[in-house]
Amino acid sequence: MTTDTTTRTATTTASTRTRRLDAVGGHLVLGAITVFSLVPIVWMYVTALRPRDDVLGQSVLPTGISLDNLRAAADLLPLGGLIGNTAFMAVGVAACQLFTALLAAYAFGRWHFRGERVLFLIFVATWLVPFQVTMLPNYILLSNLGWLNTLTGVIVPQITAPFAVLLLRQHMRSFPRELLDAARMDGRSHWNTLWTVVVPSLRGPLAALAILLFVTAWNEYFWPLLVLSDPASVVQIGLRSLITEAGTDYGAMMAAAGALCLPILAVYLLLQRQVVNAFVRSGLK
Amino acid sequence: MKYFRVLPLLAVALAAALPGCATIPTTTGAGTDAATAIIPELAPDQQVSIRWESYNLASAGIFGDTTRGLVAEFERLHPNIHVDAVPPQGSANEIAQSVQRQVIAGNPPDVGQLTFADLRYTASDLGAQPLDTLVGRDEVQKLLTDGPHPYAPRAAVLGDVDGTTYGIPYVFSTPMLFINADLFRKAGLDPADPPQTWDEVAAAAAAIAKVPGTSGGAYLGCLDAASGGDWCLTGIVRSAGGRLLSEDGKKISWADPASVAAFDGMRRIAQAGPNALPNLSGSDAQDAFLRGNLGMLLTSAALQNAILQSAAGKWQAAAAPMPGFGSTPAVPTNSGSALFVLTRDPAKQRAAWELIKFLTSAESETTITSNIGYVPLRASLIDDPAYLQSFADEHPGFVRPNVAQLDRLEPWVSYPGPNYQQIRTLLSKATEEIVFRGADPQTTLSAAQTSAQALMPK
Repeated sequence: MTTDTTTRTATTTASTRTRRLDAVGGHLVLGAITVFSLVPIVWMYVTALRPRDDVLGQSVLPTGISLDNLRAAADLLPLGGLIGNTAFMAVGVAACQLFTALLAAYAFGRWHFRGERVLFLIFVATWLVPFQVTMLPNYILLSNLGWLNTLTGVIVPQITAPFAVLLLRQHMRSFPRELLDAARMDGRSHWNTLWTVVVPSLRGPLAALAILLFVTAWNEYFWPLLVLSDPASVVQIGLRSLITEAGTDYGAMMAAAGALCLPILAVYLLLQRQVVNAFVRSGLK
Repeated sequence: MKYFRVLPLLAVALAAALPGCATIPTTTGAGTDAATAIIPELAPDQQVSIRWESYNLASAGIFGDTTRGLVAEFERLHPNIHVDAVPPQGSANEIAQSVQRQVIAGNPPDVGQLTFADLRYTASDLGAQPLDTLVGRDEVQKLLTDGPHPYAPRAAVLGDVDGTTYGIPYVFSTPMLFINADLFRKAGLDPADPPQTWDEVAAAAAAIAKVPGTSGGAYLGCLDAASGGDWCLTGIVRSAGGRLLSEDGKKISWADPASVAAFDGMRRIAQAGPNALPNLSGSDAQDAFLRGNLGMLLTSAALQNAILQSAAGKWQAAAAPMPGFGSTPAVPTNSGSALFVLTRDPAKQRAAWELIKFLTSAESETTITSNIGYVPLRASLIDDPAYLQSFADEHPGFVRPNVAQLDRLEPWVSYPGPNYQQIRTLLSKATEEIVFRGADPQTTLSAAQTSAQALMPK
């Protein structure tokens, strides 16, 4: 008995030690990844705060703190306008994608009809079509509509996101059927049911998805670059305009990038839990 | 989940169907819709609006500001012409692709600023109008050769294709060998006696690379084709007596003995010593030079202002003409661009021509050179006190050597046909293999030449 207890205790201790070692190892890996992820951001802000004549310096600590780079960036770029336009574009894209995904997901989750699976598969398959394939037809269409160099031209071709449909459909399928039936018995229309029953119940997933769509739209580079050309239009084009034939103004570039990152960093800081939820929920059930 | 098996099939079907929707002829062919008669003058009250696509507008600061200032001045002088000046869509060094997309969409800019590497493609596929026909040969020659400050003779023909003028040379620079005089002294070299041959560059680079704390001895921007640096590679090959393209524009000649000798010369610099020619990207090399950690940088004279600003108070910058092979004088090439009329509308064509005349005038060149640093194509402006003399005197080591190279200028090679970009990429890869990986120049260039020739128009 004593031997058994001793053995069990020893086993438990060894197991605890192993778990602790695992935890320490895991934290070390996470710590390394954190440092790896943070270094470029820290370097960006350090460079932004260097004096103008020390911008290309490679010391970890700047020789002094200066806001001259930010002033130079503000002289070269309309930072407020860039943030405003980019926010409008990202909110527009995210709102449209959320709306169309909600309608599609309701249809796919609420009704069973002939060809439903094929239709859904076609929806999902469009997710797999590379952007490069649809880029030129979309570009020509925008040109014919006169929407090149407009935010409308950036937003409209992105108003549906198959990924969002896929995600919301999963939630719709697990939505209590009884609630939908009850709403029907109450005499509510589908439109009414969607907005008064479904949306309030799916507020969590919808908020998480909205954040995910907003961040993706804000970070989108290639499509705005193709549709817009004015350096004063959106963040992506504005930052690119600091790369010139006579070299790159790294001080202004880092200061502008640092300032233009702030809205997205604010989203992360204020809505941290929802952002994490968004990524967790994006995994298919 | 069984229906997910169908997913790849659906994706393939969609992927196959969609490009079909985008299959639109890309070749407009200047020949079919090209001008056949001289366009009429505009009536004094005839209102015309044109769109000018300029890559200088894609840059914040002095490039964009100077260009917008010129447009404002033009509109002041021509109140009946409105110019919508826009940067290219996409990145600034993809202007040909930007124009090509707009040609496909049926809405090209009326005036385009395209690089000389795009010259033949612009004339054959992007709808550039032959200016000799559009406004008359005499009018074109008047712009280029008349007046107290004509174009430098070798610069005046840079927009010609097979004897016809399609583009008026607008802004460009010649290659300059920028020098860090402090590193020269630390390496025991005399910055007042800079290298004049590539062998001297190799020896100096090896010596500078030994100075503690340096990033390397030398870097040649010509080797970084990814950022358009191949413009001055033409000059290096021509300096050795070789050619990248035969004179009739039909045969790739990278593997000819003189061309091979040029690449071998570049390889010798890389092999002169550890880090004599570091394998950096063009932008990394430029940053290293601006920091004062690189001994020599062969690049566009347009970098002059940036170099002087970075060096101020920290290290001494100097400049020398492009080196050559042995006692044969170097053959510099030009970077930069010309202005092309792309519209088919006669009124817009006339307005476009008026804009081109203004942008390439002595007054505009003075503004462009003094603000941005491009070489003045009307070379005699640097001796005229009303124009650029004071500017040239303020920068004695930079402006005059740059202008002097116009006397020996040869054009940046422009490969014909729609595959010209792939041909440039092939040469870029071969160059990297030879210079930085020590591959045999003859074998590598022969293989690349065979591949490139297959991409040329038959």
